[in-house]
Amino acid sequence: MRSTAPQDYTLSTFRALANTLIPPPTNQDELESTPGASDMCIYEYIVYALDHYIPIQTYVYQGNIPLALPTALMINEAARQYAYTNRPPFSYQQATQSNHHFFSSLSRQDRIQTLAHLEDLNLDLYTLPTPFQNNAGLIKHVTDALNRLTLFGYYSEWSSYGSTRLNPPDERYQEFFPLSWYHVGYPGVSLGYRDFRGFLLRIRRNEGGR
Amino acid sequence: MSRNPDVIVIGSGGGGAVIAKELGEIGLSVWVLDAGPWYGNCKWPNPNQHRGAESSDDPKDLDGNLYREQITRREGDMNDIVTGKFRWGPADRRRGPWFRNIPDQAILWQNAGIGGTTLHYYSNSPRPYPHSINHQWPITYEELIPYFEKVEETLPVEFAPTTSKEAVFYYGAERSGFSLNDSLDVSTVGYRPQPNAILPPNEHLMDPNYSLEELSHMEGCTLAGHCGQGCPYGPSLEKMAKRSTNISYVPLALKTKKVTFRPNAFVTKVLTEMNPSGEHQAVGVQFRDTWTGETEEVNAKIVVMAAGCIETPRLWLNSDLPNNPWVGRGLTNHYMDTVTGTFDEDTLMNILGQPEINPFVGHTSGARLDYPGVGMIETLGESPGLTAQQLFGFSQAGYYQYNDASKPGGRVVGEPLKEDMGDYRRTLTLLAITEDDVQYRNRVQLDPHIKDEHGHVPLVHYKPSHQDEKKRDYLVEIATNILKHAGAKSVYRSNLAPNLYIHLESTMRMGFVVDSSCEAYQVNRLYIADNSVHYNSAGGVNPTLTTQALATRTAEKIVEKYF
Ligand SMILES: Cc1cc2nc3c(=O)[nH]c(=O)nc-3n(C[C@H](O)[C@H](O)[C@H](O)COP(=O)(O)OP(=O)(O)OC[C@H]3O[C@@H](n4cnc5c(N)ncnc54)[C@H](O)[C@@H]3O)c2cc1C
Repeated sequence: MRSTAPQDYTLSTFRALANTLIPPPTNQDELESTPGASDMCIYEYIVYALDHYIPIQTYVYQGNIPLALPTALMINEAARQYAYTNRPPFSYQQATQSNHHFFSSLSRQDRIQTLAHLEDLNLDLYTLPTPFQNNAGLIKHVTDALNRLTLFGYYSEWSSYGSTRLNPPDERYQEFFPLSWYHVGYPGVSLGYRDFRGFLLRIRRNEGGR
Repeated sequence: MSRNPDVIVIGSGGGGAVIAKELGEIGLSVWVLDAGPWYGNCKWPNPNQHRGAESSDDPKDLDGNLYREQITRREGDMNDIVTGKFRWGPADRRRGPWFRNIPDQAILWQNAGIGGTTLHYYSNSPRPYPHSINHQWPITYEELIPYFEKVEETLPVEFAPTTSKEAVFYYGAERSGFSLNDSLDVSTVGYRPQPNAILPPNEHLMDPNYSLEELSHMEGCTLAGHCGQGCPYGPSLEKMAKRSTNISYVPLALKTKKVTFRPNAFVTKVLTEMNPSGEHQAVGVQFRDTWTGETEEVNAKIVVMAAGCIETPRLWLNSDLPNNPWVGRGLTNHYMDTVTGTFDEDTLMNILGQPEINPFVGHTSGARLDYPGVGMIETLGESPGLTAQQLFGFSQAGYYQYNDASKPGGRVVGEPLKEDMGDYRRTLTLLAITEDDVQYRNRVQLDPHIKDEHGHVPLVHYKPSHQDEKKRDYLVEIATNILKHAGAKSVYRSNLAPNLYIHLESTMRMGFVVDSSCEAYQVNRLYIADNSVHYNSAGGVNPTLTTQALATRTAEKIVEKYF
């Protein structure tokens, strides 16, 4: 059980993130047509992307720096600082509890404010975990990426890989038509469209003096 | 693969493939080394899973059916920056992409592989504005015209056909007082179809007697809208509709029987010697096989760097070539923004006779407004994931819903995002592209602390000038007007972060790092043939045709001087 704890922590933090950026519909009847990003497991997509994003050489080896866990820690620390300053009374006990899921305990609006604060570097950067500690550039870059990853994960076909979604990229297969494509009216892979309305201009070659 | 060719070309993207073909046609033996995979070559049936062969030099290896299987046209499979087939990373997609340190909100969108970043480019191939070249570059616009013509004929380039997107754009541009500009050499403001490196639609496209499946195996664009995903439609590989260099120039290079391409070969060092008069000269390269990790060296009489605006300066710096304060400096990036209009069904019925625009139909970018001195505006119709990420998920203005009125734009999240994306089929997006200034502070340098298997990684920095900001605001105003005049009921601006790296240029500038024939001032026999040699941002015009014309010219210069 213990060994899965960090993974649960990471996943639940990104579940809260996905839910914040693309929430489930308030009307339950629409859940099937426009689910929230966490209903489509987009947090798993975010974790995969973060853990495969930065392959560099360290003293001992060449490999990926898994970023998902430190990013989750960073978001929670930013949430803690945000709440501590902006949402008093925030109890001493809450503030000192380690590994607390601060981010998910905030309202949706406060979570977005937390992300905005993080991106504006509006917190004590020393308190963040490696590799983010005092690393303004990486904080900005990754905080921004969280938005793009959530939106791309949700609106691309990723979710339709269904039970194969976490396989290596070449071992994934589409199991159904992506709900988000259905919702926006994108027909998916196409062979062509009969929407040719003529040419406004043609290039005239070798006529000189164009 | 003949040992020690006349010329080694590093990189087979927008510029590298062109110079390889030109040199091969002249009769020189050429090796092209590219860091990424090769799609559509039967020697690499599973290029993302197995190393496959070492190299290919035979046009018979090209296989259009295989290309069609590999280029799945799904945006996640093709364009995902971390795992996509088109990404800056090794062929093996189980591994991560290659890291660049970009300490900002940033998307750096380049590809490794035969075809390079043209694998997913939109094929817009306009000439630069004459005013942006004349009296600025060490060469004149007029000198380049024959090379523009040659590239336009080879790719080939044709004005984009009109589909719904373009029709709405022309309608709005006309009503906002702009006129049609029927020219390839643009000195005045006006709108026109994009000159695109895409074959015209097949003459039977509108004929229901031909199925779309049949048409997709015939010559000509089917308006499928997959430019960004690679577009594998056509009767054979070299006749695919979208003319990335792997489709246009690479087959022609192979036909010369003088050119060998080796994918999965990452060049880590340019080798030099001192000649008797004490000058540096290039003698070859060292490269690393991205599957096996083995390094090899190969010698040649000439080395051409065409690794793109980031990797060419990185390679120079990692090779310890002579110090030049302009290496990696002066990066321009066309400081871009997007404006999206949403239309009512009635308005669209009036303009188009149908209630939707369907931005995913037709050329991804098929129409433009040229504004010499400021930049340009073009239509943009991407698939939903790319659309959402770029229009609603990437902004320098935080979150739209939480901003005060002083900041335009911002990311859109929550229910409003779903609503906006729900209108996707009735939207038209315009991309504003600025003629940005060359500034010394904008740069590619080595990160002193971070290395990967190819040496110190690049650190990229770009911040537009105040002048650039004013120009961008002006273009955004015009784009907004065009959409409003077309009848958009609402218009939304993203206020993109400046570090959207799509049109990188001018990091190894002509007149500073290379001379007017694109040979390095400080290293003889070392040439550059990619976007990095541009003197400036070429007027804010899509840069690739300029690079391809220069590469064609550089091939002649090399032969004149050394062969
Ligand atoms: C989404 C998108 C759309 C675009 N649309 C357009 C458009 O419509 N029109 C336009 O003009 N431009 C467009 N561009 C820009 C266009 O792609 C570039 O201008 C063009 O590809 C630049 O050519 P290049 O030769 O400089 O670099 P690239 O095309 O990036 O080629 C560089 C090649 O070098 C290889 N390489 C790099 N380092 C090494 C190394 N060390 N060893 C070996 N090989 C190496 C890479 O693998 C790559 O194949 C677009 C870009 C994007 C991202």
